[in-house]
Amino acid sequence: MLLDVRDLHVEFRTRDGIAKAVNGVTYSVDAGETLAVLGESGSGKSVTAQAVMGILDMPPGRITGGEVLFQGRDLLKLKEEERRKVRGAEMAMIFQDALSALNPVLTVGDQLGEMFVVHRGMSKKDARARAVELMDRVRIPGAKERVRQYPHQFSGGMRQRIMIAMALALEPALIIADEPTTALDVTVQAQVMELLAELRRELNMGLILITHDLGVVADVADRIAVMYAGRIVESSPVHDIYKAPAHPYTRGLLDSIPRLDQKGQELYAIKGLPPSLLNIPPGCAFHPRCPMARDVCRTDVPPLYEVSEERGSACHFWRECLHG
Amino acid sequence: MGRYVVRRLLQMIPVFVGATLLIFLMVNVMGDPIAGLCGERECDPATAAQLRKEFGLDKPVWEQYLTYMGNVFTGDFGTAFNGQPVTELMGSAFPVTIRLTVVAIVFEIVIGITLGVLTGLRRGRPVDTTVLLVTLVVISVPTFVTGLLLQLLLGVEWGWVRPSVSSEARFDELILPGLVLASVSLAYVTRLTRTSIAENRRSDYVRTAVAKGLPRRRVITRHLMRNSLIPVVTFIGTDIGALMGGAIVTERIFNIHGVGYQLYQGILRQNTQTVVGFVTVLVLVFLLANLLVDLLYAVLDPRIRYV
Amino acid sequence: MSDPREPARAIAGTGMGGAMDLAASEAETLERAPGGPDGGAPTGKPRSLWSDAWHDLRRNPVFLVSALVILFLIFISLWPSAIASGSPLRCDLAKAQEGSQPGAPFGYDGQGCDVYTRTVYGARTSVAVGVCATLGVAVLGSVLGGLAGFFGGVWDSILSRITDIFFAIPVVLGGLVLLSVVTSSTIWPVIGFMVLLGWPQISRIARGAVITAKQNDYVQAARALGASNSRLLLRHIAPNAVAPVIVVATIALGTYIALEATLSYLGVGLKPPSVSWGIDISAASPYIRNAPHALLWPSGALAVTVLAFIMLGDAVRDALDPRLR
Repeated sequence: MLLDVRDLHVEFRTRDGIAKAVNGVTYSVDAGETLAVLGESGSGKSVTAQAVMGILDMPPGRITGGEVLFQGRDLLKLKEEERRKVRGAEMAMIFQDALSALNPVLTVGDQLGEMFVVHRGMSKKDARARAVELMDRVRIPGAKERVRQYPHQFSGGMRQRIMIAMALALEPALIIADEPTTALDVTVQAQVMELLAELRRELNMGLILITHDLGVVADVADRIAVMYAGRIVESSPVHDIYKAPAHPYTRGLLDSIPRLDQKGQELYAIKGLPPSLLNIPPGCAFHPRCPMARDVCRTDVPPLYEVSEERGSACHFWRECLHG
Repeated sequence: MGRYVVRRLLQMIPVFVGATLLIFLMVNVMGDPIAGLCGERECDPATAAQLRKEFGLDKPVWEQYLTYMGNVFTGDFGTAFNGQPVTELMGSAFPVTIRLTVVAIVFEIVIGITLGVLTGLRRGRPVDTTVLLVTLVVISVPTFVTGLLLQLLLGVEWGWVRPSVSSEARFDELILPGLVLASVSLAYVTRLTRTSIAENRRSDYVRTAVAKGLPRRRVITRHLMRNSLIPVVTFIGTDIGALMGGAIVTERIFNIHGVGYQLYQGILRQNTQTVVGFVTVLVLVFLLANLLVDLLYAVLDPRIRYV
Repeated sequence: MSDPREPARAIAGTGMGGAMDLAASEAETLERAPGGPDGGAPTGKPRSLWSDAWHDLRRNPVFLVSALVILFLIFISLWPSAIASGSPLRCDLAKAQEGSQPGAPFGYDGQGCDVYTRTVYGARTSVAVGVCATLGVAVLGSVLGGLAGFFGGVWDSILSRITDIFFAIPVVLGGLVLLSVVTSSTIWPVIGFMVLLGWPQISRIARGAVITAKQNDYVQAARALGASNSRLLLRHIAPNAVAPVIVVATIALGTYIALEATLSYLGVGLKPPSVSWGIDISAASPYIRNAPHALLWPSGALAVTVLAFIMLGDAVRDALDPRLR
């Protein structure tokens, strides 16, 4: 197993109290596998990724428990200097908004080349040459000239390609992409996603794709983990979940996708709001919004029941959900 | 870029004329320039009339202004009433004040930015709160009080420095006056740097830099500071003009014979040409420093393009 | 990522569809509601900018301390005799430079005047100069700047150039030139000078605030509904543009008090028999070695006063600036 996150807990101290952002997340990614992590804002999907990467702001953030096993080592036990050497070189991250994630006052060549200078001890000149190669690889036309330009001089799609190039620079074993296409135009989204999938195949990397877009997931992911209020509520191979969700929340998500054959019908919406992380409901966190909720849901936290060998669902009534 | 500079230089002309005219009017309004001429005694009417004619004071004010400015552009700033050309006074006064300003700016850069970066990275910790409180106090105590107190403590009580500066005004003598001159701006630089660093520290590109696995030092110097110091550099640049113009108080406390001293003398003796001449140069310095800052901005921040 | 909730815009306008968009936008409203997300639905009624700021200020110790200091200052400027029995002008040369003693806790200055009494009476001058100058500057500056920002065009350009001119003249220098011939010993020439050189600062702020407020949707809507210019300015724009002016004016009040003292120190501000901290500091500076107390007490009073106004302005700005929450 490439990455194995076990029972991870993360809290934030805020002015209004302690926000429990991640409450026992467990997931794993194999080499060459794509895991999609799905959830609304505040479900803890990005916070989990940041904890894995080691870029959580601490304080106010705090990892209160769990393990992050990467190639067999627990990253949470490493010293900061060893951890730093893992970042960028062995696991890399692609951010949502490339315009703000790239440094506005440095050329893209400097920012790409920096990876080689810092991690590989290359000279600035060699690093620049590698930066041009990388830009070619993510198919940015005129790389040789454009390497001297600044992020704001690129289009949104091209900037996101630069982000991808930066993440791929040292051919890491794992890439975490946090909503990599959300900030892009719909037409460009597909191109960037394809590029990412293609390069992932070439380099046989593991990919964690954080998204809320079920459309993207179906095409590229092997497995899906659905998060709600800092927990994994369902984890499954991608095709099974579309056929029959084993959690009412997943079902709600699938039902709220607008479909062409249902034109004119009212769109389904999950009632209510996601819970405040400062005050997560007891029992199953989803129960106030759940159409299937019963008394036990208000008191007992559902464990991740084994639905099949490859599937899990954190619903007391997963059987009903699966067949109903 | 070239066209931008030309346009800015053209825009400077009305401001320059306005500011110098304003000072010229103020000086003329403030009293009779002849009065100080005949020493303690009152001038007899005949001499006064003759002097008036000699200095062109019988003409309308706007004509006097035009004549004066015409002379200024040929390098003639007129005569101080002690008979010395004003340019000669400037030749002795400006180097002193420039040295004083340089010392002040160095203090702003070294102490202000260092403290700002340190506190910005440790926002909310005791160091931060202490420094923040000290800067507030420094901003609140008027410069002349700071100056007098430091002179009393360091110069008189503890004897670390000489309480007043010799006529040579060497750099080492100007350390304390430079610190006093810089004090308020120093506090502003610290606060500005702190805010800017603290704001940018949470920015996405700094998070990217960390995610790239860069050492903390490199993240701070190359990514965080490079961006955060842009507004600070701007502030320090525009401060040059303000420091030179504001040196009057500091120069008076430490008895430094610089621009402020000469201006003060000129004002006491109601000497139009000295006052207007010095102010003209100060206004020019202020305007040019602002232009330089704007150009520097484009160098520091590639997103800004002047057309 | 100081906030554990990911930005709501991540959701907006994507393939996820109605449910999440709705949820996200409502979640955002909830987060912004005063009092913070405490689990349940927002129960408190929405508060205006000002009452929200007041809610914050009441809990801010910096604000409370500076406001108390300022109230105390106003009290002693109105009734100095309440805490100082003597007259600031009754001096006894025989006691010159004497230190602290019963009946004269701050000692005597170079002229043998009681430093305590003079320091108390000095507050009146400082507060009067500060308040009058600030009022003048705020009225003149916001009217000129506000009108220029509202109407734009030629007058705006002219005003901008004029403010540029004033910014190019060093303030202390202007004060020296203008005030050096004044023989009046009242506070009015000093106030007049401050208004003359201070208004461009406020006018720039007011202009910017009005231009920002003018672009608000509700102002455009009111305009589309046929509201007159004066109604637009007074009812819709002014209430929203006034906050930054108040903040800057409060901080400026402190700096005017410091400026008055500086000018008095240079000998062109107030003149005896006025009682002013600047005059006393200036008078005490030659014999600073023998009688430092005569310099320290008025200096301390001056510093505390300026500090109080600057801190008050700072606290009000923090409370009014929603970005910092």
